[in-house]
Formats: sequence, structure tokens, C-alpha cells
Amino acid sequence: MDPTLSLADYLAAGGKLTAPGNVTPRYRAELLRLLATFVDSSLAGAAGFADTINAGPGIAERIAAARIVMEKTQNAARILRLMGEFGADTARYAGSHPWAARLPRKADIGAERSEHDMRLAVFNYPLAGWDDAVVMNLLMGQAAVVQLADFQTISYQPAADAFRAIAPVEAAHRDLAHAGLAQRIAAGADRSALEASVRYWWPRVAVSFGGGSGTRQALLHGLGLRHQSAGDQRSAWEDAAARNLEGFGLTPGA
Amino acid sequence: MARFLPLTVTEVRKTIRDAVVVTLQPENPADFTFAPGQYLTFRRDFDGEELRRSYSICSGADDGLLQVGIKRVEGGTFSTWANTELEPGAVLEAMAPMGSFTTEYDAGRSRHLLGFAGGSGITPIMSILRSLLAREPKSRFTLVYANKGIGTIMFREELEDLKNTHMGRLNVIHVLEDDAQEIDLFTGLVTREKCADLFANWIDIANVDGAFICGPEPMMLGIAAALRDHGLDDAQIRFELFASSQPGRAAKPAGGTRAKAASGATEVVLTLDGATRRLSAATGETLLETALAGSVDAPFACRAGVCSTCRCRVLEGEVEMRTNHALEDYEVARGYVLSCQAVPVSARVVVDYDQ
Repeated sequence: MDPTLSLADYLAAGGKLTAPGNVTPRYRAELLRLLATFVDSSLAGAAGFADTINAGPGIAERIAAARIVMEKTQNAARILRLMGEFGADTARYAGSHPWAARLPRKADIGAERSEHDMRLAVFNYPLAGWDDAVVMNLLMGQAAVVQLADFQTISYQPAADAFRAIAPVEAAHRDLAHAGLAQRIAAGADRSALEASVRYWWPRVAVSFGGGSGTRQALLHGLGLRHQSAGDQRSAWEDAAARNLEGFGLTPGA
Repeated sequence: MARFLPLTVTEVRKTIRDAVVVTLQPENPADFTFAPGQYLTFRRDFDGEELRRSYSICSGADDGLLQVGIKRVEGGTFSTWANTELEPGAVLEAMAPMGSFTTEYDAGRSRHLLGFAGGSGITPIMSILRSLLAREPKSRFTLVYANKGIGTIMFREELEDLKNTHMGRLNVIHVLEDDAQEIDLFTGLVTREKCADLFANWIDIANVDGAFICGPEPMMLGIAAALRDHGLDDAQIRFELFASSQPGRAAKPAGGTRAKAASGATEVVLTLDGATRRLSAATGETLLETALAGSVDAPFACRAGVCSTCRCRVLEGEVEMRTNHALEDYEVARGYVLSCQAVPVSARVVVDYDQ
């Protein structure tokens, strides 16, 4: 439109892109990668958690777990619709991968993604029972809250809108996990097992914020697809997640 | 995937010298239920090449009409055709309405929305303000409308009529770049500074609930900055770029044609972010695999041919796609491939991720 204004300058000044027709190829690729990461993580998270519904100790817990599975799947659908506007086959997408597939509990893949989907590495690890799932949801739920705060500022307006609608849903999942953990502790859950779960999930959630390559971060920053640095996100999560655990007498370094 | 549906043109009305309002009749109106502010993407064949263009709907949600505004763009094939040759009875093809330059309406609400339009950027805002005035009897709309001169103002009479019908609920401030007006403030460009002046004396910005901006990029940036200065946040400020607009659209890079492939091996010449690399591909390897093996930061996500993240364009040579669930025929005709599914079949392939 305006030949004197570059995309970089436009985005740096807080400009928004509003439709698939006005993004550049590089922007398109990075945006789709970001959206696919969210969709795949949500689908994998929901699929992995679905099996745990039956492990819920009571009806209320099972309803909470089923609700989390349903709403994470809805969140995936919402973002997948945006990918569909860029050409992604939304009908085939869910069926294209085994979202419930997990690695062995002892696998150590760091921040490495699988070959076949873009789920965050943490969603490649299996849950080990109800209490473990509650701890994982509390830690990862907080990570989602931190991540979504940044996603709401991204320069692709339709995606920022969608993430704005998703953020309170994810925050509610974290709150359900918090209530779930309180319930388990009141019911006399095995504290050393809970501590072991925290030790297991803490580092695996922590690497989700990425940040390995400085050039990649600079690229995303320049495109307005990321505002807070990976390091700042991780420390924001560490503070909040530690506070979430504190009330239960659990600590990350336990 | 994109699905195009037929629409019969029932009226083509000139609004100003170089813009028309086209009224469309869908076969099944339910397919074209729209949220005010959304646009339609049309496709049409011009001399064997399919063109797709998006135009905003300008009718209101309760007008019982589907209308788009099409302003002729200098050198624009589709818009020129629509302004000079399109006639009632013609059948166009369009996708269902899309776009998120919208708001929810609620009859019980009392709010004040602000619109900023530059030239033909008025089209989606017309739809929004018409719908607001019709659906929310207690709400108000203030439009700041920038044009070159008095002769280029689209929907001038319609806006006057709406002002008279909805007394006191629609306020229109015309800002003209070239034509002098009684008040100096209403002449020139709508910049951040001019917005600040408008907010100081003419618009009660403290009581504005949301703003819609559609126009040239520098104008939108200035307005958005001024709105942020006055306390509006990102969720309250809606942008709409002209659908085909792309700030700083890159000039088409020239395709390289050098180097003969060594017999047996496939040479892949790959451009990404302006840098070109020459790679050697193993037999049966996809373009994406070759790129990643060569430490090129090529984009991808699903690796299954469904998400389209890895799209690139083949400029020279031939590839075969194992599967394709994401690209449409017209994209394939232009040489676009999914690099996660594309295996070279010629000795040399030149691909570009930047197009």
C-alpha cells in the first residue's frame, strides 16, 4: 500500500495485520508455526489427559477433567480455524497425528520437538496417575497463562483476538488444578509422590519457553509475534508457579 | 478449504467517479450471513489467470441486502473491470464472509464507538455504523472520515441520510486533504497530532468504548498511537488493512539460472529470507528434508501436507508432491508446493520461500 513504510517499521510502530492476504511469506510461515504449536499442544494435552478422566477420585474431579479435555479441544479448534484461512485442511488436521501418543516416562528430550508434530516437548511425556496429572496441570496451566499474556499482543489481529478469548479459559484450568491439588492434599495424598511429580514436571515445563536461538527470538520480535523474551517469560512463570506450590508446602527444588 | 459460491449481481451503482456499490444476490442467503465489518473474497479469471480480490461489505446487518464497495485502484485489473464492465445479471463467485473487524451488538447497550476511515476504508465502517444505529438504539457513533477532496467522498449522501434518521447519534467529521474547510483542523491528513486536537475539542475520547480504523497504514498507525495515548488498549482498537494490502511488499526477486547439475545428484537452489543456498538432495528426499539437512531454517509444522506452513514456490525444475491437502489448484498452477511433500524429479530445482 504505502511504499515508504516497510513491514518492519509498520509492525514496530504497533501496526496490526488483519488477513491472510496482507502477510509476507516469512510472516505467514512464522505465524503458522506459532499457531500450529498452540493447536498441537492443545490437542496433545487434551488427548493425553482424556485417559486420566477415569482416574479422578470423585465425580467432581472427573467433571473438571472432562471439562479441561473439552475446552482444550475447543481452544485448538478456534486456532485451527485461523490456520484454515491460510489453507490448512481443518477437517483432516485432527486425524493426521496420534495426539495421545507419548514417549516413555524416563525419556529425556529437553526442548526437542517430535518429528511429526509441533506440540511442546512437555506434551510428549506421559502422565502417571491422577495426582501426577494434577501437578502437571498446575505447572503447565501457569505456563499457558504466561504464554497467553504475550500471545494476546501479537501483531496478527485475528490471532490476538482468539488468544484473548482463550486466556481466561486456560487460567480457569490452572485454577481447577489448584483446587484439585488442595482437594488431594486434604484427602491425605502421598506427599512424597506429589514432591516427586513436582520434581519431574518442573524442568520439563521450564524448557517450554524455548529461547535457544537469539536470532529466532529477534526474528519473532521484529515480526511482532513475540514481545516478552523467553527468559522473562520463564522467570515470570517460575515466580508464579512457585507461589502456587508454596501454599501446599511444596517447592520446586524439593 | 476455500469454497466459492455463485452470487448474481442485481445492481451496480456509481457512488463517486471511480467507485461502485455492487448489490449481490446469493443462491442461498444463509451462506452469506455476515458480521458487519467482514469482507468477501471474489475470484475471477482474467486472460487465463485467476485473480482473487477481497472487498468489504458496506450494507448493514439488517438492511436485507448484500453489498460491497469497490473502488478502482490504479492499474487494478479486478477493480477496473468492476467499475467499467460489471453489469446486473453477471454472476460472481465469492467465499463466505470473513474477517474479524467486527463487534457484537446488544440492543440494551449504550456505548460510543469511534470510526476512522481513509478513502475507500469507509466500506466496512459503513456496515458497522449502520448496524450499530439499527441494533443499539442507545448507542452513538462518531466517524472521522479522511478524503482527498469533496468529490472523492464515498457514501456522502448516505451518511447525511443516516445522520437525519438517527438524530444526534451519528456524528461525522470530514477531514479533507486538499479542500480547505471553515475549520482548519478539518483540513490535511489525519495524524496522531490531529487526533489529539480532535480529542481535545471535538470528540469525548474519555467516553469512547472502542475504535475501528481502516485506511492507509501510516494513517492507521498515527490514529492507533493517539488512541493509546488516550487510554484505549489493544482490545479496544480494531485495525483493518485493505485485504490485499501488504506493508512494504517485497519486490519480486529475480530467479537465478546458473550452474549445471552434476549428473546423478539433484541440485536444489533455495532462497529463504533473501539468502540463496545451493544444496545437494539425496534421491527421494523432500525439499524440506534437503533444506533442514543443509541447516536452512525452513518453515514447517505438520509435515503431513495439511497445515501449509512449509509452502514455497518452484521457479525452475520439477517436483512431485506426495500429497497435498493445503494448496489450492490456482496456487499449484503458480508453482507453489508444500516443501514437506515435494520431491524433486528434475536434476535441478530452484525454489523460493520468499514469494
